[in-house]
Amino acid sequence: MRRHWPFILSPLLAVLISAAAVPALGQGPQIKPEAACVSCHRAQSETQPRTPMARALQLPDTNPTLKDHPKLATRKGAYSYTVETRGDESTYSVTDGTRTISIPIHWNFGEGAQTWMLERDGHRYESTVSFYPSINGLDFTTGDEDLKPQTLEDAIGREIAMRETKVCFGCHATNAVSNGKMKFESLRPGVKCEHCHSGTSSHLSDAVSGDFSSAPASLRKLSAEDISNFCGQCHRTWETVVRNHWRGEATVRFQPYRLANSRCFDGADARISCIACHDPHQDIVRDDKSYDKNCLACHSAESSASTAATPASATAHAHPKICPVAKNDCVSCHMPKVKLPNGLMTFTDHQIRVVKAGEPFPN
Amino acid sequence: MLYSVMDAPFMGMIAGTADGKRWSSNRVAGILVALLLLIFSLTPSLATAQSTPAGFEELAADATSAREQNDVSRAIELYGRAVQSNPKWADGWWFLGSLQYGNGAYAAARDALSQYIDLTPSAAPALAMRGLCEFETGEFADSLKDIQRGLSMGAANQPRNGKILRYHEALLLTRAGRFEEALRSFAFFAHDPDPNPELVTALGLAGLRVPILPKDLRPDRQDLYASAGKAALDYMKGDDAAARADFQLLFERFPTTPNAHYLYGYLLYATDPDAAVVELKRELEVNPSNPAAEVMLAWIPLMQNHAAEALPYAQKAVAEDPKLPSAQLVIGRALSETGDPKDGIEHLEKTELLQPDDLEVHLALARAYSAAGRKEDARRERLLCLEMTKNETTLALHP
Repeated sequence: MRRHWPFILSPLLAVLISAAAVPALGQGPQIKPEAACVSCHRAQSETQPRTPMARALQLPDTNPTLKDHPKLATRKGAYSYTVETRGDESTYSVTDGTRTISIPIHWNFGEGAQTWMLERDGHRYESTVSFYPSINGLDFTTGDEDLKPQTLEDAIGREIAMRETKVCFGCHATNAVSNGKMKFESLRPGVKCEHCHSGTSSHLSDAVSGDFSSAPASLRKLSAEDISNFCGQCHRTWETVVRNHWRGEATVRFQPYRLANSRCFDGADARISCIACHDPHQDIVRDDKSYDKNCLACHSAESSASTAATPASATAHAHPKICPVAKNDCVSCHMPKVKLPNGLMTFTDHQIRVVKAGEPFPN
Repeated sequence: MLYSVMDAPFMGMIAGTADGKRWSSNRVAGILVALLLLIFSLTPSLATAQSTPAGFEELAADATSAREQNDVSRAIELYGRAVQSNPKWADGWWFLGSLQYGNGAYAAARDALSQYIDLTPSAAPALAMRGLCEFETGEFADSLKDIQRGLSMGAANQPRNGKILRYHEALLLTRAGRFEEALRSFAFFAHDPDPNPELVTALGLAGLRVPILPKDLRPDRQDLYASAGKAALDYMKGDDAAARADFQLLFERFPTTPNAHYLYGYLLYATDPDAAVVELKRELEVNPSNPAAEVMLAWIPLMQNHAAEALPYAQKAVAEDPKLPSAQLVIGRALSETGDPKDGIEHLEKTELLQPDDLEVHLALARAYSAAGRKEDARRERLLCLEMTKNETTLALHP
């Protein structure tokens, strides 16, 4: 195995540094705070569990995708794969025609597209194939297309070391990592309140006695730059992508990176922050028109007049361009939909720009 | 001795015939023929001047003939006379320099190669060879500069070339106190099936942060640095179990040696930052004033978006060694990410002056400027970072 190790002032920090970043995770007694959160934070508590983030990791008994597709099958090279579901139990199998390896699925990563983390003989694997809604079936897991398994065992999937395991669960689950250690016993699937709001448990115990001084810091007050880095802990920061030298269409998945590449990105302007457009407690809004108000918050005559009238911001945000073509449906032109190179998933490109016909994907 | 002057490294580097071990002097002459034939193919431009003085053509032909007959002394003399007659004869300077290098006349070789480089600035092999000459004449700063320029221009395209240049680069970086960069160069040798003992010792020197060349090491200290080098090399090979055992033995045998725990922690950071933190903290127990360890202890939480945890270590590092660029970097990042962008940026701009080509400095500046609302400065830094990384792109693979 060729080893690269990172280093403080070097590009060789490469792949490894990004993996070090895991979100703030709550400490303290293992209770389910969201059950109590609802008493004060009703609106958020009611809608958040229905978001894709809340369902970023699903257990077998709560995975409608596999229940709706009780038998999935595909062939890749010399190996055939099946994912069969009976009741609450799903099994991932791979065969070379002579031998078959079958592994029960415990960990379903993703809500729409799903990849499975498999455990066998003390090793963990990212499944070679994943489920994609776009084809309503199985295909290579994104990034694993070039793997050339030599044995049936290799064909199960890409082996995952503990460090990567922590990163996977650190983002897709809550209370999965504590003091740098993987904690399967305290893990709860998906992104729950305390995944983002560090200190939820102590806030809960204090709040019971009327003490609200330990409430988690408000993320709403973070600057656009800081919230981008916060969300980027899982969605990848601009810095992580650059440090790892990742380029190409596949980076369209990394929204904080793409957004920061935008000409209009201003780390001190709340109007371009992740949470200016997206409420993480609500399901993702897929109606492009609904984002017009966010674009027009800067790119309108009214906005230009109001910012120019504010001396402090007049120089920093002077006169954003006003679109000569339209005042609505901005996203459909300026944030094009981009398919991953495997053609199986499509993402909105958050690098906001004037798109020119035929231009290559801007890196 | 490995890749040393006596072993005529660059000749092997160009000819691709050496095996990395000591060369006997009687092998050198034989290999020269192959060397010089190959030199032609590696030299991008060996154009002869268009108008030549009377008698020059004859001199040049005689010099070529002497070289082809392996009459090195005669070839040197004839090439010398030819380039005096026609100083714009690039080929002449190149052959003169490379023959002088092979003969151990490093200062003369350096001067001849300088003439060649003036006429052919993009000649990576010549830059690299001049760097090796400067290494031998003790002009270490120039040597490092030339070797690195040569490397960046493709002088290491052949495996053998790569070994010799990377080894000298690593030695020079170690000597210059740029230990982390030296370790990166030594990583080039991680999969060498039969690493030379001198290389292992040199790696130990870099790992334990001792800015000297292996030849200047006291014999009674060889064991320590060879042990550290072996542990680091095993880790670089990916043999974690062997590395762990090596390091444990190193700690037992040399419990108070500075930087031993630092080295292990530094290497571990790649795969297990939590284990790295343990080793780095042990380093501070052994050696309470170690800015390098403090920098890493600041860096790890910074990479986890926990700037507040980083700040105390960053402050200690910069207090102990304000000139250490990485200390300025971590304090700059820690301050700007804990609500003090003005002071943070000041430190980062200082770091930029010290290390203008360091990607990490520009990544940090981009973030700090952005958080401070300096949109155009942030964009400039971002574009610079993208430019700096554009030639080493990789596809984003795994989720």
